[in-house]
Amino acid sequence: MVHSEIWTEKYRPSKFEDLVGQQEIVRRTKSLVQALNIPHFLFAGPAGTGKSTLALIIVKELFGDSWKENYLELNASDERGIDVIRQKVKDFARTKAIKNVPFKVIFLDEADALTREAQQALRRTMENYTNTCRFILSCNYSSKILEPIQSRCVIFRFKLLEKKDISEIVRRVAHLEGLTISADAYDAIYEASEGDCRRAINLLQATASVSLNVNAEMINMIAASGKPVGIRVVLDYALAGDFINSRNKLLDVMLKESISGSDVIKAIQKEIWNLPIEPEIKVKLTEKTGEVEFRMIEGSDEFVQLQSLLASFVLAGQGKAV
Amino acid sequence: MYENFVEKYRAKSYSELIGQDKAIADVQQFLKDFPKKKALILHGSAGTGKTSLAWAAAIENNFEVLELNASDLRNRQKLEQIVRPASIQKSLFKQSKVILMDEVDGITGTDLGGIPELERIIEITRFPIIMTCNDVWQSKLAPLRSKSKLVEMKPLNTATITEILRRIAEKENINRDMGFFTKIAIKSQGDLRAAINDLQSYANEENLFVDTSEKRDVEESIFIILRKLFKERNDFLDLFDSTKMSLDEIFLWIEENIPIEYKNEALVKAYYALGKADVFRGRIYRDQSWRFLVYQNIFQSAGISYSKPSPLYGFTKYEAPKRVLKIWLHNQKTAKKKTIAKKYARFVHCSVKRIMRDFDLLKPIINNPEVQKQLHLSSEEIEFLNAHKS
Repeated sequence: MVHSEIWTEKYRPSKFEDLVGQQEIVRRTKSLVQALNIPHFLFAGPAGTGKSTLALIIVKELFGDSWKENYLELNASDERGIDVIRQKVKDFARTKAIKNVPFKVIFLDEADALTREAQQALRRTMENYTNTCRFILSCNYSSKILEPIQSRCVIFRFKLLEKKDISEIVRRVAHLEGLTISADAYDAIYEASEGDCRRAINLLQATASVSLNVNAEMINMIAASGKPVGIRVVLDYALAGDFINSRNKLLDVMLKESISGSDVIKAIQKEIWNLPIEPEIKVKLTEKTGEVEFRMIEGSDEFVQLQSLLASFVLAGQGKAV
Repeated sequence: MYENFVEKYRAKSYSELIGQDKAIADVQQFLKDFPKKKALILHGSAGTGKTSLAWAAAIENNFEVLELNASDLRNRQKLEQIVRPASIQKSLFKQSKVILMDEVDGITGTDLGGIPELERIIEITRFPIIMTCNDVWQSKLAPLRSKSKLVEMKPLNTATITEILRRIAEKENINRDMGFFTKIAIKSQGDLRAAINDLQSYANEENLFVDTSEKRDVEESIFIILRKLFKERNDFLDLFDSTKMSLDEIFLWIEENIPIEYKNEALVKAYYALGKADVFRGRIYRDQSWRFLVYQNIFQSAGISYSKPSPLYGFTKYEAPKRVLKIWLHNQKTAKKKTIAKKYARFVHCSVKRIMRDFDLLKPIINNPEVQKQLHLSSEEIEFLNAHKS
């Protein structure tokens, strides 16, 4: 275990046996690793379900202490261009592994963020260096990974952790950190985490930094403070006909929470159904939202597209068709 | 012998640059702090002394200058061949050097990959890079903006220009009264180069007639364009030809002012048109299909104008676009947040984007001194965290 005061690292499992949940995936990867018969992997599933952890366990099992020299981790959502594939990945893949394992491992996290061109480049790289290098790709949606890449990988689909899994992890961490946890806090952590283990542990640590006695009320308070707020306010301004304040607020929220346009549009799409307007108009607004999301992909300026959506909310606020 | 006054009287030291004390101090500070920031952008309208200041800075500090301006091809390959090695190798004759990229807004379509290569050079350079441009807020300069210190050069006021003209006239034995110099100064609208050129060409003119309509004032013409676009109903296909502003810049002006002028259905239609213009712009950026420019242009002109059912009347006070500036200010303010998020993300095997999003939740964890030590946070980063404890 890594010694760290960041609990997500401190308690990150380093053996197959320590993993909670995803039992079938763990069983199959373990037997593949033990047979030294590693294909390329594609781990698909939501955040905080153990994709990176499993990748790390695999390389640690393979290489033991020298895992760091034989392992390259890249986060595609931060470095999404073709240059990354052409330079970093190829340079690393070219050379042989140092240990008695015949290949190295590249972990490409959030690979669905790679551009199409980068994925095309990756496809060839995977083939050309298959003797010296294995890839583990992770993604939220496997549909965003090119078909030819998918076909070169063994795909494992990670599921959101269940309540009993999250509770088990929380119990372990709390025990080792000497925390007292009330029964209702388990529910609160699970609710706020939405099955995301990283979020659950972060929430626990953030709350524990305030008090070693953790209860539901505190969890909910901390969870609310870390939650992106403001989209509803943006929509309320628009519905009330105050477009200028609505868009100013939107820019503030996007900057303050560092969220992208596509995050905003997802939040709006969900929030529509909580708004005090006629159901028929909700359907119309949803259609409009979908259209704007599509335009956002094609266009160059997300903020302009979002403004055009807010303009529709102004009409909706007057009960008019949009 | 005919000699161009502008070159003859170009300032060669800080003391000869009049009315730009703030900018001079900023440039000197930048050179002193180098390599804290590796590049600097001098921006401001024409004839405010951007190039002169860059040269003066080099001369004052005894630096060699490598200059590339709009007359040179500045594509990726060229920059790779010339600037990249120069940014690493020592100066042959002087103790150090400065790389001057004049008129970076002139890096155009034919200079393919010029801006991205410049970005990379800024990362690796061992010598300060000074860039100049008129409009630093153009979207294509965004990547350079974020890596550079920005120094604005304000247009000179009429009194300053008058005084400079008088001094030159004295040396050149031009005998004219102060009224003559003032007229030229007013006509120049803060552009010293234009004023000096005028001085040279009008020196022997009997009656100097200053035509006020001759003023080229970009601010004014964008207001006229907006008024036509928002008030009248017309095709307006050539509307944007009358300004030097780029289509992208006009786009921002339209975006800012749509809700000031249009309400309800017209608001929706106008944003629909502007959104369409942006979709075509996206295709241009992505595939370099410049053919789509006509579509962007039409949606951005006729599309906006016909959003309303009938012409509008009355006076509207239009606003200058604020968004780009607001984003930039915000980024300056939170630059430390990003560097902290980077260190944290690397440590916990997670993307920087996600950490930035969850930053508030993670703050109590990062505030732990043990964690800060482990992440090797700098004292500035810790200071930032302490200042933003919620």
